[in-house]
Amino acid sequence: MATTKKYWKGIEELTNEPAVQELAKNEFPEEVPTADFLGDNQLANSSTSRRDFLKFMGFSTAAASLAACEAPVQKVIPYVVKPEEITPGVANYYASTYADGHDFASILVKTREGRPIKIETNKDAPINGAMNARVQASVLSLYDTGRAKFPTKAGEEVSWSAADADIVKRISEANAAGKQVVLLTGSTTSPTVRSLVAEMAAQFENTKHVSYDAISYSALLDAHGEAFGKRAIPSYHFDKGHVVVGIGADFLAEHLNFGYSRDYIKLRDPRAGKMSSHWQFESNLSITGANADHRVMIKPSEQGKVALALYNALAKKAGASTIGSVTTAYDEQVAAVANKLWAAQGKSIVMAGSNDLAVQKVLVGINQLLGNYGATMDMNQALQVKQGSDSDMGALLADMKSGKVGALIMSGVNPVYNHAAGSQFAEALAKVDLSVAISDRADETAQNAEYLLPANHYLESWADAEPVEGYYTLAQPAIQKLYSTRSLIENMLSWLGKGSSYDYLRGVWSSNILMAGLGNWNQSLHDGFYQLPSEGSMEAAPMLDVSADGRAIAQRKSEGFELELFAMANMGDGAEANNPWLLEMPDPITRTSWDNYLTVSRADAEEMGLVNENTSNGALNGSLVNVTVNGVTVENVPVMIQPGQAVGSAGLAFGFGRAAAGTAGNGVGVNAFPLYAGSQTSQTNVQIEKVEGVHEFACIQLAHTMMGRDIVKETTLEDFIKDPLSGNEPITFETHEGEKPASEVNLWEEFDKTTGHWWNLSMDLNNCIGCGACVVACQAENNVPVVGKDEIRRSRDMHWIRIDRYYSSDMTKAKAKEEEVGAIDMYASMEDPADAPEVVFQPVMCQHCNHAPCETVCPVGATAHSGEGLNHMAYNRCIGTRYCANNCPYKVRRFNWFNYPTYSKFTDVNPAQDEMGKMVLNPDVTVRARGVMEKCTMCLQRIQLGKLEAKREGRPVADGDFTVACAGACDTNAITFGDVNDKDSKVHALRDEPRQYYLLEEIGTKPSVFYQTKVRNKA
Amino acid sequence: MRNSIKAYIYDALVLIFAANRNSVMIAMKNALPSSLRAVYTLLCVVAFTLAFHGAQAQEAQSADPVLGEKLWKANCAACHKINAKLIGPALGQVTEKYEEEWLIAWIRNNVELRESGDERAIAIWEEYNKSAMPAYPQFSDDDIRGLLAYVDQEYAASQAPAEVAADGTVAGGGAASGGGGIGLLPVLIGLVVFLAVIVFILVRIKNLLLIMKGVEPRSFVDQIFDLNKYAFMFAANKKLVGLTFVIVLVFVFQGLWGFLTSIGVEQNYQPTQPIAFSHEIHAGQNQVDCNYCHSSARHSKSAGIPSANVCMNCHMYIGEGQSEQGTKEIQKIYAAIGWDKDQRAYIDGYEEKPIEWVRIHNLPDLAYFNHSQHVVAGQVECQTCHGPIQEMEEVYQYSELTMGWCIDCHRETEVKMEGNPYYDKLHDQLAEQYKGEKITVDKIGGLECGKCHY
Repeated sequence: MATTKKYWKGIEELTNEPAVQELAKNEFPEEVPTADFLGDNQLANSSTSRRDFLKFMGFSTAAASLAACEAPVQKVIPYVVKPEEITPGVANYYASTYADGHDFASILVKTREGRPIKIETNKDAPINGAMNARVQASVLSLYDTGRAKFPTKAGEEVSWSAADADIVKRISEANAAGKQVVLLTGSTTSPTVRSLVAEMAAQFENTKHVSYDAISYSALLDAHGEAFGKRAIPSYHFDKGHVVVGIGADFLAEHLNFGYSRDYIKLRDPRAGKMSSHWQFESNLSITGANADHRVMIKPSEQGKVALALYNALAKKAGASTIGSVTTAYDEQVAAVANKLWAAQGKSIVMAGSNDLAVQKVLVGINQLLGNYGATMDMNQALQVKQGSDSDMGALLADMKSGKVGALIMSGVNPVYNHAAGSQFAEALAKVDLSVAISDRADETAQNAEYLLPANHYLESWADAEPVEGYYTLAQPAIQKLYSTRSLIENMLSWLGKGSSYDYLRGVWSSNILMAGLGNWNQSLHDGFYQLPSEGSMEAAPMLDVSADGRAIAQRKSEGFELELFAMANMGDGAEANNPWLLEMPDPITRTSWDNYLTVSRADAEEMGLVNENTSNGALNGSLVNVTVNGVTVENVPVMIQPGQAVGSAGLAFGFGRAAAGTAGNGVGVNAFPLYAGSQTSQTNVQIEKVEGVHEFACIQLAHTMMGRDIVKETTLEDFIKDPLSGNEPITFETHEGEKPASEVNLWEEFDKTTGHWWNLSMDLNNCIGCGACVVACQAENNVPVVGKDEIRRSRDMHWIRIDRYYSSDMTKAKAKEEEVGAIDMYASMEDPADAPEVVFQPVMCQHCNHAPCETVCPVGATAHSGEGLNHMAYNRCIGTRYCANNCPYKVRRFNWFNYPTYSKFTDVNPAQDEMGKMVLNPDVTVRARGVMEKCTMCLQRIQLGKLEAKREGRPVADGDFTVACAGACDTNAITFGDVNDKDSKVHALRDEPRQYYLLEEIGTKPSVFYQTKVRNKA
Repeated sequence: MRNSIKAYIYDALVLIFAANRNSVMIAMKNALPSSLRAVYTLLCVVAFTLAFHGAQAQEAQSADPVLGEKLWKANCAACHKINAKLIGPALGQVTEKYEEEWLIAWIRNNVELRESGDERAIAIWEEYNKSAMPAYPQFSDDDIRGLLAYVDQEYAASQAPAEVAADGTVAGGGAASGGGGIGLLPVLIGLVVFLAVIVFILVRIKNLLLIMKGVEPRSFVDQIFDLNKYAFMFAANKKLVGLTFVIVLVFVFQGLWGFLTSIGVEQNYQPTQPIAFSHEIHAGQNQVDCNYCHSSARHSKSAGIPSANVCMNCHMYIGEGQSEQGTKEIQKIYAAIGWDKDQRAYIDGYEEKPIEWVRIHNLPDLAYFNHSQHVVAGQVECQTCHGPIQEMEEVYQYSELTMGWCIDCHRETEVKMEGNPYYDKLHDQLAEQYKGEKITVDKIGGLECGKCHY
């Protein structure tokens, strides 16, 4: 070919051409009011006539054909010097640590050609922390274009060197003037940061380090500090906790965020013949409450009283003195719990979520009475991930106001947003001589600080942590810095005139950590952790005297309407509020995304005239209220009527209502932190005032009960022991050959079940706690687009895996028979969830039917079956008739209504639209275009790669060689993937379990995905 | 015999060139039989031509280049190349320089030939430093002719690589097609002449009949080129119109189909690269293993373009090309990586300049292709898809890279199951299922959508 020809030189030149750029961006030429005729409700009002429409279409077609005439020249640019460990097209994994003060996880970072694209659990680490949705989604935050890109002083860009010189000079001045130099961070367990703080204190004697948690655990820390002389949280061992009692503590999800579900689930296996007994006393329906065997609804203020009543009941049994006399409405349940606990001394855990020191001290007393310390609760190797101190923070705020603080360096904190006195903090910042915010973006706090020093993402930094005493983890950079940023460690090293963060961190490790246990740096870096040999157990502490606290609790009165503030599984404390994956992830309980809301009970809603209504297309609308606590009002809070909400209380989640998070997260929901007075999640005397207007929710589940069907099969442990098939009785049909099980009644030709692999998924409903980490993991792995609130509201969610949540109904078939309720009335009332429902979670993805209804109706053969039991979807063949989705009994097919990766309507929400966000895409998975159906592929790319690796190495595929993204993200082993034709595989064994069943087996789809009956321990 | 032929020619001439009614009447007596004979004679001529040519072709086949190739590889390739001197001379145009007999003598026993005092033989001996070439008394004349035919063929192929590439035939392997191809042209010409003569005869017969009716015939040229009349005749025949329409439609659709299906098919795409890297020199002459540079082909989905530091493994020592141009091209690597040729050292703090190759093989994003699957698990040779890459001075896209092309290969290629424990169980199951049939890739799911599209 001639070299004189002018070609497009790749995407760069293409985008330089404004006309082409417009075309690419808008899909249609500018004149076409795309939104007008594509948004169907506006079609009638559209001013575009049919003729014009055809003209536009004609022009677009011509433009598109012209553009397609010559294939653009593509460059392929190899490394000049290729790093030895990188092979283009092959993923590298690096062990690292996610520790942002709110969540902690030992992780593996999957990188492709130097770009992190997926976070996996580091299965080798003895302590993993929580692999929750936020950890999964954190890789997207790396590519957030809303990140701060250069240092600024009072909003003006400055150079790092100028900023450093000024900051160091002014710190010295402040120090010399006898003013405080305060380092305000989130809970940090980093030995390196500790060492740097010590060095800084040595240089500037007025240095003070204040830890601050947005959601405070101060009381829990202080109570243990008083009892054990060590301000730390015990390491809970749920794998030894046979009786578990939670009092307002959502420990499976958002209390401590340390992955307790992993251990909890180990004692929930009914095959062992026994299960742990889990009781939950709470106001809001939490994930933990939803999984409890017994859930007691209490008002938020009653947490203390329940704890005290439990203390007294146990003290009576122990022969210790009781404190005062306290009666609650739940004495019966408390007595039952006390009996259970007493029988399981040293094998139980009692936890409270309250941040009330008196309550937490009573809890220490309870666990001491039960002898749990040293057995299920370890203060020797204590949990360090939470360190925030309310009193220190209060003192700091006071000092700032009075001008005693000369320099305030804030790292990874956002108190202007997430402190109850945020506005006061903002004002006080002005009185600090030098305020420096080390933050990943110009957030609420950074906007009020003098300096904004952009922070690295954790995937760009060297860091370390000591989440549990004696257990150290490392975080290593998995990508070069995207912007001109520095981590806290790098900043401090710069100011102290030290070397690189790697050298310093390695020095700290060599001298302080590895020497103590003869560890090896390279091995630790490879593993991502280093564990010191455990030392002898700590001497038992004397019983904590809680009589004064108990009496104080006994005298409290429950006043007025109450509010319990909580953190949601998607947004947590709101630090990742600009992450579209998290925004789009539905709350596991309400199944609503892109929002927080006031959860109220049905009874209260009726009393206050608050309503939830479904519009004709199924979308949910709710009333709006103003919520006032202690004179602070949060306006226009949408109301969600929540089954399981204690009457007389309401719940509101933190983490929303950000003002300076970024384009996706700004203004989503309301900010609950102003109501977090005294860092107390439980607030009394709450005024709720209905206001005009209707809020539009994006709720993806319309039916909240199973309406009498056996979608989730369920039994009790007692019944299960008697009959392993209980709750899972085989479905039979009457045929002309007599009664036959559903599995044998078949309209189709049998398929080949034995040749080669047959990939199956087992979903253990007993293990699924509904946390939703799998949803985000799937989104990351499979390039699932984010579609935004408006589309979700139209039921156009794109998640390949959803976790259906069903409430039990008060109406059952047995009850209807007994009370002689007619079928119509029965089914009608079955639609209403109970006020105190039992909850089940059920992950549903493509069931990979071997007799697939979708395959038979596709007119173009775009969806076809594989010999390995999978339902394939050839996107390029799909013409978008959507017959398959209509014919799918599981409603798991997702249609690309728009070109999400290009259409400007989704620019703010879809990460695939900007140059940075694109980098998170998995290069092994096609990005789907408009008009194409998609669905779970059972991570076909992973299966193909796993098989290929086995072929290349000349060995059979071994069980557990590879797994699907959802299973990899599941802390509780609810999802098991494998080859059912491999007799030694776990999934083969699971298929033969008596609990095994197929979803809607009676319709004869013969899926490759199966479920295991849920078993509750009702004893 | 001779007389009868004469008589026939006379009759035929009279019949054809008859100008007046009388002579026609006389000739009519013999008219029909002789016209039949004319057809017969023409057929004979054509048959003879064909037979003659067939004999020629057969003769050419005794110089069998396929046999020649075997002999070349076994006996000659160690010391000779077609286009370059190795130990012995380049043999490219040897048949032009020397006559066949001399070559047979030289190849069979060059020592004998030299000792017989042949000047040319002695000259070669002197020119190549008196290095000895072994004698091949076991070669028959046909063997040697085959060898020479192979040399000629290879030389011709090497001189016209672009043409070979353009029609897509295999340059290296397809040796046997040479003889038959040339014979088609005379046959076609013969047929055209034959048809022309028949048309001519028929027109004359028609004229004759007109003359017999007493109508004055129009001139031959007028009749042949009376387009108007043809148009009317054509329009009158509805069936013919219909048929023609259908034929035209078929051609139009075929053309359109061909055009549409060729969109995005970049077969033979041969862009100019920033460095005129020759696979012919590296993979062909120097026999560098493909995997040496494209190392990730064994580990990854992408075969990988070697980074400049891989080039430097050799080019740290090889700074001169085969030609001045080659040397210039090597300099480009040094410019990319920062190698000081004179100091023989990397330049400190050099800003590396990545080499921007133009991508030739470009699968659409919707198709997943993995090199290691094919190269390691499938044991497919690079050349199967990339063509005779070791002969490409400048790389071009050899295969269509269309889905049909993939599928065809998956239908035909046997899975390499032996010796790979991955397949042990599957092999037994499939052997049972397909009883004796070849286990091709499609039988293990190689045609399923999701194997390449996800």
